[in-house]
Amino acid sequence: MIAGVPLTHPAAAALRPWLDDGNLRLADLRFDPDPACIALWDFVLSEERRLRAVRAAGGFIVGAMKDLGTVPVLVRAIPGAVAFYPDGAWWLPCLQRHAGGQLAAADRLGIGEVFCPVRALLGCYALDSDFPKPDLDICAVGATCDDFSAVAQRLAGLGRDILWWELPAFREADPDEETVALPDGEHAPLALVRAVERELARLRDAIGRAAGTVITDAMLLQSVAEAEGVRAQVRGIRRLVLGAPAAPLPAVELLLVEILALHFCSDLPRCREILAAIEAVVRARVAADVGVLPPDAVRVLWMNPVADLRVLQWLEELGGRLGGTDFMTAQAMAPIPLDLPPLAALARTALCDHMLGGDRRRAVLAVAEAGAVAGAVVARIPGASHGCAEGPALVQAIAAAGARWPVAGIEVPTLADSDAGQIRGRLEALLETAQARRTVPS
Amino acid sequence: MITAGIDGGSRAVKAVLWDAATQRVLARAVRDSMPDAAAVATACLAEACATAGVARTDVVRLAATGYARAVIPGADRRITEITCHARGVARLMPAARAVVEVGGQDSKVIRLEPGGRVVDFAMNDRCAAGTGRFLEVIAERLGCGLAGYGALAAASADPAAISSMCVVFAESEIVGLMAQGRRREDLAAGILTAVAARVAALAGRELLGPIACTGGVALIPGFAAALSAVLGTAVEVPEAPQFTGALGAAILAA
Repeated sequence: MIAGVPLTHPAAAALRPWLDDGNLRLADLRFDPDPACIALWDFVLSEERRLRAVRAAGGFIVGAMKDLGTVPVLVRAIPGAVAFYPDGAWWLPCLQRHAGGQLAAADRLGIGEVFCPVRALLGCYALDSDFPKPDLDICAVGATCDDFSAVAQRLAGLGRDILWWELPAFREADPDEETVALPDGEHAPLALVRAVERELARLRDAIGRAAGTVITDAMLLQSVAEAEGVRAQVRGIRRLVLGAPAAPLPAVELLLVEILALHFCSDLPRCREILAAIEAVVRARVAADVGVLPPDAVRVLWMNPVADLRVLQWLEELGGRLGGTDFMTAQAMAPIPLDLPPLAALARTALCDHMLGGDRRRAVLAVAEAGAVAGAVVARIPGASHGCAEGPALVQAIAAAGARWPVAGIEVPTLADSDAGQIRGRLEALLETAQARRTVPS
Repeated sequence: MITAGIDGGSRAVKAVLWDAATQRVLARAVRDSMPDAAAVATACLAEACATAGVARTDVVRLAATGYARAVIPGADRRITEITCHARGVARLMPAARAVVEVGGQDSKVIRLEPGGRVVDFAMNDRCAAGTGRFLEVIAERLGCGLAGYGALAAASADPAAISSMCVVFAESEIVGLMAQGRRREDLAAGILTAVAARVAALAGRELLGPIACTGGVALIPGFAAALSAVLGTAVEVPEAPQFTGALGAAILAA
C-alpha cells in the first residue's frame, strides 16, 4: 500500500513553498507521494501566479462565475485569453486557515456567514488579493445558487461591470414538446436548449467585443474539442479510480482532478500533461493492484464538495474510500458532443448541471450502483443555498428510493478543526453501519 | 463473563456492567463529564464495580462509546454511539424499529431493521438546538433546573409558541415573553414541544414504530409524550434510557 505523506516528507518538498506562501492548511494534509500527484497539487496552487503572468503579458482574463464549465470554453476560443473561476476562492479560507482575511473583508461588505464561503471571492476583489481582477466578469444567474447571486450583486454594487447571463431551471418537456437528448442521458425540451444557446451566443459576442475580436464557429469548434479532450481524460481517470478494487488515488487528489475539468487551471496544454501523468500512475497502480488505502476500505459515495479538504482525508483515515462522487461539477465531465454546432453542444452540456434541476437523485444512484458503494455522505456547506441546501432532502430522497446503504449528512465549515469530533464520529458511524450491513444480522 | 460499557458523553459519563452469561445488568454508574474524561470514566467504572461487588480485574472486556471513546482507558473496542444505542435498544425493546436519542450535545434518529441492525441514522447539525444542553440552558433561565422541568411543563394549560431554536435567541425570547407576563409553565411546555419537533424533523420521513426514546432528555417527564404527539406514533422510554449506549457497548464488548 502506498501511504500518503505529510508536507515535511521529502516527496512533498516541491509543495513546501506554497506553505510559506500562506497556504497553511497544507501542513495538516497528507499527499500522494507520486511526483505526478505532487505536480497536480503544484499546478492547482499556482493558478494565481499563472493568471498574473497572463496579465503581465497583456493577455485577456475573464472571471467566470457560477456556470462551472461552460464559459471557459468560449473564452479559450480566443488565442491568449484565459478564464478562471473566482468561485474557486471558496477554498482559500480553508487553505489559508483564514489568514488571508477574505471572509472578514466580505463580512465588512455585509455578506456575512449566513452566506456560502464562496463569499470569499468578494473579499479577494475588495483586497485585490489572490487573483488579478479580470478584464471581464461574467456571472450565470437564474437557476443557480441564490446566495451566490447575492454575492455577485454585491460585487456589482462595488462597481464591477458584470455580464450576467441566464441558466434557466431544468424542466421536463410537456407531452407535445420536442425534446433533445443531453449528454448525461436526460432529455430536455428543445425550447430550453435553444434558450441556453441564445444566451451562449450573446456571451460569445460580448466576450469577443470585450477582447477586440470575433469568435468564429471554427475557433469555437477547436476550443470545444480541446475541452472535451480534458473531460475525456478526467472521465477516464475517475472511472479507473472509482472502479479499482484497491483505491489507486486518494480522495483529495481525485477531487483536484475533477476540478480541472472546469477550467483547466487556465493552462489547457499543461493541464493535459498533468492529467496524462496522473492517468499513467493510476493505470500502473491498477495493473499492479496497488492502492493508497487498505483493500477492504468501505466504498462511499460522496456528494457535494467540502469546504475543508481534511474531511475527505478523515474518511480515508477511518476506513473509507471513494466509490462514487458527485461534487456538483458532474456537468463539466459530461461529454461535449463534437458532431454538433459548438454552441448547441455547449448548451446541452450546460443543462446537465443538476443545480439547475433535473433528477440528481437518479444520477447519484446510478453513480452509486456503478461504484458498488456501501454508504453515502451528503456534505453540506454552512450558508450555501440551492444544491447544497438540498442535503437533507437529498438524503431522504435517496433513502426513499430504496438505497440499500446508509446515508449520512454532515455539515463542513471552512475550517472543521473544532468540529472534528462530531464529523469524524458521523463518518465512523456511517462506516460502522455499512460494515455491519455486510455481515449477518447481530 | 463480565463486560463493561462506558459511554463518554458530553454532559455525563455512564458505565454499565454486564454479565454475558446471565444476560443481565449488574450495575450502572453515572458521573458528570469533566475535562479529564479518562479519569471520570475510570472513576465511573470503579463505582459500577463497587456497586456490583466485583473487582475491576473481573471485568474481562471493555467497550467505549460516546464523544470521549477515544480517550477512555483500557477499552478493548471503541464503537460509535449509533451502533451502541441501537444494540442497547435491541436488548431493552426488541421490537423497536427506531431510536430517538437526545443527549447533551446532539440528538439522533436511528432506524432499525427487525432484529435491531442499523438501517440508517441522522444527527442534528452543529448547533445546540434540540439537545439536552438547550433544555438545560432554558431550565436554568426558567429557574426550575432539569429535574423540575417536566413537572413545570406539565402544569401548562397554554403552551407558548417559541419561534427560535437557537439557544442564544431562545433564551432572549424567553426573557421577553416572561417580561410580557407569560407563565413559566407555558414557556417550559412550548420549549419541550419545539425541541420534540426539531428532533422529529431529523427523521425526515415517517418512522416506523415502536420508537424508543433514549438519552438523558428521555428522563424529562413529558418529553416522550411531546415526541409522540409530533411523530404521530407511540414512543416508549426503555428502562434507564440514559444508559442505553453504555449497555449496548457492554453487550458488544463480549
